Amino acid sequence: MTPLLKVCDLSVRFGQTVAVDGVTFDLARGAALGIVGESGSGKSVTCRALMRLLPPATNISGSVEFEGRDLLNLSEPELNTIRGKRIAMIFQSPASHLDPLMRIGEQVAEALVEHTDLKGRAVWEEVLRLLDVVRIPDPDRCARAYPHQLSGGMKQRAMIAGALACQPDLLLADEPTTALDATVQKSVLDLLAQLRREQNLSMIFVSHDLGAVARVCDDLLVMRRAKLVERGPVTRVIDAPQHEYTKQLIASHPDRLASRQVAAVSQGAPLLEAQGIQIRYGGKSLADVLTGREGGFVAVKHADFVVRPGETLGIVGESGSGKTTLARSLVGLVKPHKGEVLFDGAPADPSGRGRVAYLRDVQLIYQHPYEALSPRLTVQAAIAEPLRRHRLCPAAEVLRRVAELMAQVDLAPDLAKRLPGQLSGGQCQRVAIARALAFNPRVLIADEVTSALDVTLQAQVMDLLLKLQKERGLTMVFISHDLAVIRRLCNSVIVMRAGEIVEAGPTASVFDAPQQAYTRALIDAIPHLHGDAA
Amino acid sequence: MRLLQAVPVLFGVSIITFALMVATPGDPIRLLVGDHASPETVAALRDQYGLDAPIHVQYLKYITNLATGDLGKSLRYRVPVSQLIAQHYPVTLFLVLYTIVLTLPPVFALSVWSAKRQNGPADQIIRLLGVLGLAVPVFWLALLLARFFGVTLGWFPVSGFGATIPAHFLHLFLPALSTMIWVVPILVRTLRSALLDEMNRDYVLTGMAKGLGERQIFRKHILPNSILPTLNLFAVIVAYLLGGSVIVETVYAVPGMGKLMVESILARDYFVVQGATLVFAMTTILVMLAVDVVSALIDPRVTP
Amino acid sequence: MFVTGLALVLVWCLIALVAPWLATHDPYAIDFVATLKPPGAAHWFGTDNVGRDTYSRVVYGSRLALYIGLLGVIAPLVIGMTVGLTAGYFGGWVDTIAMRLVDITVPFPFFVLVLSIVAVLGPGIENYFIALALVGWVGYARLARSEAMVLRQAEFVLAARTMGFSHRYILLRHILPNALSPIVVYVMTDVTLVILFGAALGFLGMGVSPPAAEWGVMIAEGQSYISTAWWISFFPGLAMVLIGVGFALIGDGLARMLRIER
Repeated sequence: MTPLLKVCDLSVRFGQTVAVDGVTFDLARGAALGIVGESGSGKSVTCRALMRLLPPATNISGSVEFEGRDLLNLSEPELNTIRGKRIAMIFQSPASHLDPLMRIGEQVAEALVEHTDLKGRAVWEEVLRLLDVVRIPDPDRCARAYPHQLSGGMKQRAMIAGALACQPDLLLADEPTTALDATVQKSVLDLLAQLRREQNLSMIFVSHDLGAVARVCDDLLVMRRAKLVERGPVTRVIDAPQHEYTKQLIASHPDRLASRQVAAVSQGAPLLEAQGIQIRYGGKSLADVLTGREGGFVAVKHADFVVRPGETLGIVGESGSGKTTLARSLVGLVKPHKGEVLFDGAPADPSGRGRVAYLRDVQLIYQHPYEALSPRLTVQAAIAEPLRRHRLCPAAEVLRRVAELMAQVDLAPDLAKRLPGQLSGGQCQRVAIARALAFNPRVLIADEVTSALDVTLQAQVMDLLLKLQKERGLTMVFISHDLAVIRRLCNSVIVMRAGEIVEAGPTASVFDAPQQAYTRALIDAIPHLHGDAA
Repeated sequence: MRLLQAVPVLFGVSIITFALMVATPGDPIRLLVGDHASPETVAALRDQYGLDAPIHVQYLKYITNLATGDLGKSLRYRVPVSQLIAQHYPVTLFLVLYTIVLTLPPVFALSVWSAKRQNGPADQIIRLLGVLGLAVPVFWLALLLARFFGVTLGWFPVSGFGATIPAHFLHLFLPALSTMIWVVPILVRTLRSALLDEMNRDYVLTGMAKGLGERQIFRKHILPNSILPTLNLFAVIVAYLLGGSVIVETVYAVPGMGKLMVESILARDYFVVQGATLVFAMTTILVMLAVDVVSALIDPRVTP
Repeated sequence: MFVTGLALVLVWCLIALVAPWLATHDPYAIDFVATLKPPGAAHWFGTDNVGRDTYSRVVYGSRLALYIGLLGVIAPLVIGMTVGLTAGYFGGWVDTIAMRLVDITVPFPFFVLVLSIVAVLGPGIENYFIALALVGWVGYARLARSEAMVLRQAEFVLAARTMGFSHRYILLRHILPNALSPIVVYVMTDVTLVILFGAALGFLGMGVSPPAAEWGVMIAEGQSYISTAWWISFFPGLAMVLIGVGFALIGDGLARMLRIER
């Protein structure tokens, strides 16, 4: 059988930069191919090049034969008879890929109007059917809604509905689940796997997440630095990787990392304690005062927890669960409406008096490695800033101390004069950690520090944190949406949902015997290498 | 809701015009009645405008007078300021609307042309013209246009407003053109960058992936999304046009609000200056309200 | 483009500096023998109705134009940036008060408000500067505030706060430098506008008073002779265009280099 798609020696260049270098692969009808790689590996560019969805100045060479026709040589109008009709595509962030001013129904209908003879009423009927196919409850209401009125998962389903409109032969999915919460991610993956079976859809699935790819695809391509480094059936690649890089990639997956010898929860007196924390944004409006409502938006309803010395507490939850707000209240960026924070047994006021002294003991590390460093300060200046401002060491020793801190986080000394823009994400995150360590803190709060990083870097940063904890006896609060990461790092864990703690306990017992259905759903949604593949 | 938000702004605006009045040097009543009036007359008028009362009472008086449409009296013409404004306002309104009508087509054409080929030759030239438009003094340009089209070629009248509606269009063509040359570059710059922003949005990619043609994507997605930021600029532009009218009306001797204001300033006719300033501000507030309403109609994310 | 702009502005600065050497005549010398002379060898840009040399007056006028343009933006810049950055960074009631103040100034057409203030204070450049300080800060405040509001949420600013630094230090060291680029671009446009409006005031008889060699005043003086002696108004206006284009090009070039605009 001739393949549906035959890609031969595909290369993409943006000016001098080679984004894709000589990629060759075939896709049989009905097959699903996963392309994995880290950021900058060229996987998304490969996917877009297939349909020539790249800026006009891009240089694409090689050939992409779809049913014997080379897509790279077609004229724009000819290509448009294939785009959306025979090959459809879905993207990473449904929020930005939908037109905010157009109703969902109309956007789903666009391809139908363009490529079929359906008119008026018939189009609308078909839109409703498609929305039903992607399992959107109440398609009629959804079709009339604008994108901002739907949740992320619903928007992604609507995008899929729009892509399926003309019953395409091939669906290109570019990181379709990356922007979604774990549970939603799982349901979208399940939907894609099911559509594949029901509609005999061929698929190319691009993702940085091996687990997600394993759930949907049967073949796998691994890309690194614009090149294809390995290919083969998913199970074979995962169980017996051949290329050095693939081995490293798979070894970095949380499934494969040696789970830590979780120390028995220490029994010492609590070091950091939150008592009945409630946080709300926005004040009372006049209407709230009149009706006696509390007013504002409640981000955290009620949170109690203790962290003992040397322990690592994990806080997990999906977006909007209030976990980041809670972390910020611990360092005084947000003032709790009710409740208090205790440090070393005494009430502490992180946002009020004594905050400077308190912050020497409790430091927060932020999520986005590039954004957390001032773009105008060099590595050296950034780490030296707290040392100088707070006179944490004699002025003459600042540079020596900076070098020492850089060594502790495994940063090469020659990076000292660089600006954040000249560093990699992982290096930036190390600078941020070094800067926090300058205070010699007793508690380190890490807010999603690994989520913006690629898996291999993620594993390295986790190892670094574990090492530091062991060396310095640090107490840590680790916030993440990624349960696999939490499981690896934490002694105990609390699970948050919509501003409330729904479950708490030692990590092992929460993971092995969850008491709440929500916790169970979260755990089930962890993408594993050996997924329950369709 | 929007109307409610305009109330504090209206109060603020009235405080500013009131402050202008209070800060005026000399006794406005003396100016009003002249040096030979009897002390009784002066006292009566001072009482009428509440000038002997404490400042907040004066303000209250000012506001209540405003509410009844009493803006004071012109020192020059001895008629109520409101009457003068009623005479001059329609002329300026005509000029502003005329300018807008002339402005919109070139703005759309130039922005689209310039954005479609970013950094192409057309874009560069339009950009350069924009810089030039920003730097050209309107009153100088107006003079040159009057001399060239009015005197040398004799195509258009160079002063006045005309008596009939076709005559209005003819008389105001050069004033409108002078203002237009100044405003078009500002609008093109905004719309062009809005267009470029929208052209690089992700939903454009979605449209391409659906096989929609370039034209269709532009018309159905890019254009509506680019209108919003430009619409918000519209109120600012009307304010600009009103400000510009002060200058062009003086050059072309158009009997509008701008000319009234300049003449009143030169003649120290303070009540008229204050009144005119207030009316200019009120016009902008009304346009802002209208823009808010229209944005809410276009953009489903905005609740009216 | 940026280089052209910079060169233009530098040339103007040079002209202003060495005006006495460049001028061929005394800009104020009245000569009733040579009135309304067209441009020629004796008078390069011609003479006006009382025989003053237009070229020399244009050359001397550059001093006033630069003086007005460069000095006029200082007060609005300082006031606006201070108000905008603090309002945007702190938010809350500081922001509310500042923004209400901005809201009530916005409806007034800029030039109309400047005119009415000058009307109250009386004609003259000093009063024009006062009017600019009272009104012109609003644009800077809006710009600085929107920058500060974004930066306030940036993680590196949050990090500076959780490192226990004072608000003053954070504002000066972390917010200000990162908010500066769009403000600098705006300054360049504003210089052009301040020169233009200053000349417009002169033209309307409310700025620098005659017989000063000020371009706006000169254009006004030539207005009655526009059909017979066009040069009296033409050259000062051309000079204004050339100086305005210089600053506008610098602003435009900076906006591109700093990637504020595409």
